[in-house]
Amino acid sequence: MAVSVNLKLNGAACRFEVEPDERLVETVREKAGLTGTKLGCGVGECGACSVLLDGKLVCACLVLAAQADGCEVFTVEGLAPGGRLSDLQRAFVEEGAVQCGYCTPGMLMAAEALLRRHKRPTGEQIRQGLAGNLCRCTGYTKIVAAVRKVAKRRAARGGRR
Amino acid sequence: MARALKVLGKRTRRLDAEAKVTGALVYPSDKAPDDMLWLAVVRSPHPHARVLGVDCAAAEAVPGVVRVATARDVPGENAFGIAIQDQPVLCGERVRYQGDAVAVVAAESLRAARAGAAAVRVDYEPLEPVVEPEAAMRPDSPALHPGGNILHQGHFTKGDVAEGFRQSHVVVEREYDLPMMEHAYLETEAGVSFYDELGRLTVDSCGQYVYRDQTQIARALGLPLERVRAIGAHVGGAFGGKDEITVQIHLALMTHLTGRPCKLVLTREESILFSTKRHATRVRYKTGCSRDGRLLAVEARFVADTGAYASLGGPVLNLMLEHVAGPYRVPHVKVDGFAVYTNNGFAGAFRGFGCTQACVGIESQMDLMARAIRMDPLAFRLKNALQTGDRAALDYEMKTAVGAAATIRSAQKGKLWRGRAAWRKDLRKVPAALRPHVKRGLGVASQMQGMGLGIGLPDYCEVALELGPAGDCTLRASTSEFGQGAYTAYAAMLAERLDVPMERVRIVGGDTGLAPDSGTTTASRTTYAVGNALLMACERLEAELGRLAAERLGWPAGPARLRAGREPRVQGAGGQAALAGLLGQTPLEVRATYHIPVAEVELGDGLPHLLYSYGTHVAGVEVDTLTGEITVQAVEAHLDGGQVILRTGFEGQSEGGVAQGIGYALFEAVEFERGRCLTTNFNTYVLPTSLDVPTAIRTVPVVVREPTGPWGAKGISETCMVGVTPAILNALEDALGVRFTRLPVRAEAVLRALAEQAPGGRAGARTRRKGS
Repeated sequence: MAVSVNLKLNGAACRFEVEPDERLVETVREKAGLTGTKLGCGVGECGACSVLLDGKLVCACLVLAAQADGCEVFTVEGLAPGGRLSDLQRAFVEEGAVQCGYCTPGMLMAAEALLRRHKRPTGEQIRQGLAGNLCRCTGYTKIVAAVRKVAKRRAARGGRR
Repeated sequence: MARALKVLGKRTRRLDAEAKVTGALVYPSDKAPDDMLWLAVVRSPHPHARVLGVDCAAAEAVPGVVRVATARDVPGENAFGIAIQDQPVLCGERVRYQGDAVAVVAAESLRAARAGAAAVRVDYEPLEPVVEPEAAMRPDSPALHPGGNILHQGHFTKGDVAEGFRQSHVVVEREYDLPMMEHAYLETEAGVSFYDELGRLTVDSCGQYVYRDQTQIARALGLPLERVRAIGAHVGGAFGGKDEITVQIHLALMTHLTGRPCKLVLTREESILFSTKRHATRVRYKTGCSRDGRLLAVEARFVADTGAYASLGGPVLNLMLEHVAGPYRVPHVKVDGFAVYTNNGFAGAFRGFGCTQACVGIESQMDLMARAIRMDPLAFRLKNALQTGDRAALDYEMKTAVGAAATIRSAQKGKLWRGRAAWRKDLRKVPAALRPHVKRGLGVASQMQGMGLGIGLPDYCEVALELGPAGDCTLRASTSEFGQGAYTAYAAMLAERLDVPMERVRIVGGDTGLAPDSGTTTASRTTYAVGNALLMACERLEAELGRLAAERLGWPAGPARLRAGREPRVQGAGGQAALAGLLGQTPLEVRATYHIPVAEVELGDGLPHLLYSYGTHVAGVEVDTLTGEITVQAVEAHLDGGQVILRTGFEGQSEGGVAQGIGYALFEAVEFERGRCLTTNFNTYVLPTSLDVPTAIRTVPVVVREPTGPWGAKGISETCMVGVTPAILNALEDALGVRFTRLPVRAEAVLRALAEQAPGGRAGARTRRKGS
């Protein structure tokens, strides 16, 4: 029995027919075709599938699509509407925070969430905020540096991007 | 190199970074050809069993299931393996580890494929698993393969160790127990298959060497090579774990049987169960040195658990043997090693490739000896560091640039080591009440790592370089990009050598249909090998431009160089001319093949290497003696990769290597109970997070130019990880006075060791000192 689910996906109203046990990550990747969101472990440990659900950071592998009915879902594709990179994306490119890149979309969503939470995050808050996202390539150093850079820039602009 | 470098060594941005931060880059797991079928693999739940029968009827009846394949459907040789083909594509008679494939189901949806896989009934007769490598080596053990359980063994001697120990003032003996380690690339093994526009059976997946994948697929499918195409360009991490066949043959088989495109993505559980791992290894070392700190004798024995099948178990063992004495000069050596089949998963290539295990052993020993003779650990290493012209552990001459001493000296001058006394006492960030219970320590380790495949194995690299009339360059090289930044490095080298801006360079990689055979993307070799091949290609390109200019413009003979600009020009013996005018509409293509130079002596099985990269790591740890918690606070990496190609990439590799070294030291172990894997996802196989890796990682390039390298460069992708683990173990002894010999060192182990060390505990010393 398929279930109808309405999502506001990166700002656009969408409707999907989903299985009752279908996870949000499947809907986003397979039905909406937004493959920027990755599936790394399926049990909420690696964070590769991180998206913002009504502004809250979640692992899309731990949320049923039906649970997201009526919610706003924000994925990596929503960060650069019209192809203009966000400040966070630019910082990841500039700082060399990307290697294989498979963790990057989830990492960006986690970084976005932590910067919304903390306007002037400490180094420890940045590392805490990223601790739910595994990266096997970078050792996290340049990712933390990229987030710190954006935090500083945003703070300098009074919180504006 | 007298001329200043324009591009190399700078903080160049990656070519693929923008596609990766927007989510636009399409990875193997993101591909979805039209009309595709999803695959699911039926895997053995038993570590060891006879397969009595496979009944597919119920699976075939599942709605959406299109085809179920078993061993009898494999049209060619039902076997694969890089070195020895001893692993069935689909097991028909016997399964040898949990994860061994028995059947593949193709269906219209992933759900249907999984339901079909669950409905395949396999009748197993469980057999007693072989789980202890030492016992497996004995003649009375059940044999897992026709030749017995010893996949490979190696024995080398140099001098006379007995004499070396007699001369030694201090002799140290220890056994190290090193776990199996999972690569844990974030993208699991994945890919798609289809017939391409030329009718070739095409597999677009995640391998590290498309030409070898092509061979392995063709052999299993019974097809001529030219009917098979393998692709693998951008992949979500590999670290050696995607070197062996993973999804490729199952994909090809199902497209072959159904005529339709197929897609297979392993779950994380499947990935951990099925894929190759770092060999769990029992390492025994006995080493001796003189009172004044000369290393005199190294005796070692390695027993590596290679799991169910061969893959690269033999070569991994060989590198353990080759690197037995680390980057040190030693007159007396005896080393024995065994790679042994068991039913404990499956081991193969992993960053470090055997050097990792040897390095934990020898670097722990070096510290123990330095401590016993009360010598500074870096001074002790420097005193024994190999130099060009020295004879290595396996008794061949070190011929090329040896950076061991330079990296040790760099570490001595580094901030962390110079400030060690103050660093150890610096507990400012620890709450005052806890300070009496927190200990800090610093440790060092040096390492060398063979580059390339070694002697006796074909190690060539062909590239094709195309120059278009508008001055744009395309380099075609079949190596893969799994995050290391290789394609950006190629573009940077081309931009440096030719007068072409990086943004005008395009890299076409990882495709047997589009790029010539550039060899494997392993063994720290790609920057070096492709770099050299592209330099040869550039020289040919200039010769060709000169020839064309002579032919078409009447210039005197001689090469012509490219000159960048809005309208690119060529400059040569006849002056300057517009490139577009010279080439017309036809791009100019040249090819070149570089052969990695090899040693003059051959010890067999790819030994030894001619080229090595070197590194010295300094690690600082902090231990809470109440909870046993260890945090790595600082790491300095002094890495000799010759000329740095990409500064940001160099640091990034190093920082990632530090994280993996921390994982190996403190976190990670694939655990088995009677052949059954207990750690099949990241909730039980725990990886370091952003809280476990220090932000204070400093990477210092130590530039010892390799005369045969492109601009003097060599690879660092393994050296950057291997020394980290023993540096942490040495730091722990510095902090706690405890020598850990079993990895990973978790909080429980720390508390246990501290309890044993306490008055009344039973800490034992196994260091023999003459006259004591």
